[in-house]
Amino acid sequence: MTEKTKRERPAFNKIISAAIESHYNNIQTNRPMGYALMAPNPLVEIAYAAGIQPAFPENYAAVSAVKHLSRKYCETAEAHNYAPDICSYCRNNLGYVYDSKENPPFGGLGRPDLLLLTSSACTHYFKWWDALHEIYKIPMIYINTPRVMEPQAMPDYYLAYAIREIEAAIIQVEDIAGTKITHEKLSQAVTLSGEVVDYWHKLLDLQKAEPCPVNLTDISNALFVLIALVGKQEGVDVIKTVYDETKQRVTDGIGIFTKEEEKHRLMWINIPFWFNLGLFGYFEKRGCVFPLSDYTQYIWGTTKMDGAKPIESLARKALEGELNSSLDDQIEKMLVDIKEYHIDGIIAHSNRSCRVLSVGIPDAVKVIQKELNLPSLVLDGDHTDERVYSDANIMNRIEAFLEMLG
Amino acid sequence: MSNILEHMARVIQDASMVLSKTREETGCKMIGIFHPVVPEELIYAAGLRPVRLFPYIDDFITEGDAHLQTYLCSNVRAVWDQVIKGKYSYFDGAIIPRSCEAVTFLYQTWKRHNPYPFIDYINVPWKRSENAIDFFAKELGRIKNDLEGFTGKEISEDSLHNAIRVYNRNRGLLRKVCELKKAESPIISSTETLKVVMSSFILDKEEHSGLMEQLLAELSKRSQGPRAKVRLLVTGGCVTDARLWEMIEDCGACVVADDVNNGSRSVFTAVNDTMEGPLTALARRYVMVPCSFNTANADRFTYISEMVMESNVHGVIFAINRNCEAEKFDYPNLDLKIREKFDLPTLHIETDYLTDMAPLRTRVEAFIEMLNAKGG
Repeated sequence: MTEKTKRERPAFNKIISAAIESHYNNIQTNRPMGYALMAPNPLVEIAYAAGIQPAFPENYAAVSAVKHLSRKYCETAEAHNYAPDICSYCRNNLGYVYDSKENPPFGGLGRPDLLLLTSSACTHYFKWWDALHEIYKIPMIYINTPRVMEPQAMPDYYLAYAIREIEAAIIQVEDIAGTKITHEKLSQAVTLSGEVVDYWHKLLDLQKAEPCPVNLTDISNALFVLIALVGKQEGVDVIKTVYDETKQRVTDGIGIFTKEEEKHRLMWINIPFWFNLGLFGYFEKRGCVFPLSDYTQYIWGTTKMDGAKPIESLARKALEGELNSSLDDQIEKMLVDIKEYHIDGIIAHSNRSCRVLSVGIPDAVKVIQKELNLPSLVLDGDHTDERVYSDANIMNRIEAFLEMLG
Repeated sequence: MSNILEHMARVIQDASMVLSKTREETGCKMIGIFHPVVPEELIYAAGLRPVRLFPYIDDFITEGDAHLQTYLCSNVRAVWDQVIKGKYSYFDGAIIPRSCEAVTFLYQTWKRHNPYPFIDYINVPWKRSENAIDFFAKELGRIKNDLEGFTGKEISEDSLHNAIRVYNRNRGLLRKVCELKKAESPIISSTETLKVVMSSFILDKEEHSGLMEQLLAELSKRSQGPRAKVRLLVTGGCVTDARLWEMIEDCGACVVADDVNNGSRSVFTAVNDTMEGPLTALARRYVMVPCSFNTANADRFTYISEMVMESNVHGVIFAINRNCEAEKFDYPNLDLKIREKFDLPTLHIETDYLTDMAPLRTRVEAFIEMLNAKGG
């Protein structure tokens, strides 16, 4: 078993928790409400501009895992013939859909009025939303975009295709919401989204400080704002609070540890084990902090959102980000960031449920080892299905790795 | 058995040897492709030989796992394993489509380790709108440029039309053979048909079409086979292991229709290049290939339904490879709809590269016995 940390968390976690609770309350009350894919999804800003409340099944799957409900939901989905080799986010959600829903976390995810999908992640999501479409028989708005293997040399027609997809989606959303999304409304939502993104970048930059001001669990918590509250003033207000507090911590030299106590600065690759966030507390007990993760760094907030060009910004959002790019591109970024964040070890989660973030990990860690001479540890697991997680094996391997780090 | 069918079966059995010999004798450069969604006509028009990739050799995966984790489809891992072991020395490159996760992410591994001079990635749209077709035509234009860069020769409009003609002829002939399976007493078995289709992945298309014409002439003289008492439809993704089809037939059933990548999905419809440019015509045809990764469940059900009705099917086998996430995702809804709409029994079996057929046989036997008891 992992030990729990007793360190004082940054105060902003309470503000984010309140924002999450408020979001789930809104899901219960606001209509129309649509299930939106979390992967960089331009339909979030469009939904807010149209007065549609987005809800995020992936976030709810992670919440369910934190509450140790994923076993129950996965088993329910499997009883409905969704095989265990399907991503556990999907099984969590489909299990929840078929579940009796007695006392679900945050009062539940509610029954959606529409579905908001992009293809910027993986086939699982297309098939997942398609399955929800079959179950609920409600309208689905779907933005298809190509995968961009070489972002520096993206052909113009990729952007043109994405723009036409966004334009078509706006017409569909207007039809469902019964409201016109004026240029002003869309521009305002994109401007607010851009402000969140700008704060996010500044926040991530602060993590370069020694001692590292906050840990990966805190940043992962704040990620909710970058995904779910983009396009709302509330999102800007919350992320500004997070940034201000973190900046103050850097100014005051306050970190998870003192500079002397901070023994190792590690990078976490892939999604955390949501059912065992206490693992990060264990690392803290051993003087290790995680200033850097591809999960918080390269997936969301990678697009400069320009209110003067709202449709182009939204199209670029659908095209950019780690989930729609290539591992080679990520490796290049990691090699730079590992140095800038003063990282001295890599923990990579080979996540059987998230192939987009996992395929190529063996190659990535080899490149990092070769180029930067950094030690790395690859852990096999799953982001939400704790039935495939072996605590004893994982802890043995981590223990050996930390001993080697010294 | 017909000499032609024997030859086609040997081509599948000895695919690696056949390709190696062809490369040596003709000097024609070979480009590997995955899935029936890559417009092969483009490669053919460039004067190259498109060859469908599947594990040509029965060999345990020993080196591929160092790059591609074991929770990915083993068919894809097996191909990669054989590539990096140097078993496919006759290839000059590959074009990998955005399709299932394993194939999509294989591209990145392939590019990083770069075993051949040419590698490209093609974004197949996951939609069938005019916007998607327009995009796909432009993507094909990019691939055309890349191929021209590789060969140093322009791909002319005439050569594209010629390639479309060659492929349309071949698919038309293949469809004729597949049609023969629908008869009450088919004159060709489902395993034979599978091998006829899969041999077209390996042989030169014109050579294959010549063989097909001879085969159809031969088959027209064949006496009727036994009545297909139990008529099955098999659906799945890459169900390339002929042992499975042989086993089903051995258990007393006939696969009269299929919905697999190496079957009907490869041969359905022609490219119509009479009304629009060849790239748009190719885009329009290939975007419709009903693979699971880009096809909504409702559209897949329509495709399967037509076959169920046309072929008088008695039962459906879902033969889905382990870790084939798209097919596994479609299974629950398709299964439910098939049972509800057609009142047909279904069986789900999990297949895998080099899988042990014995446990599968027990289940398939029981399923077929049940169908027999129902009177087929």
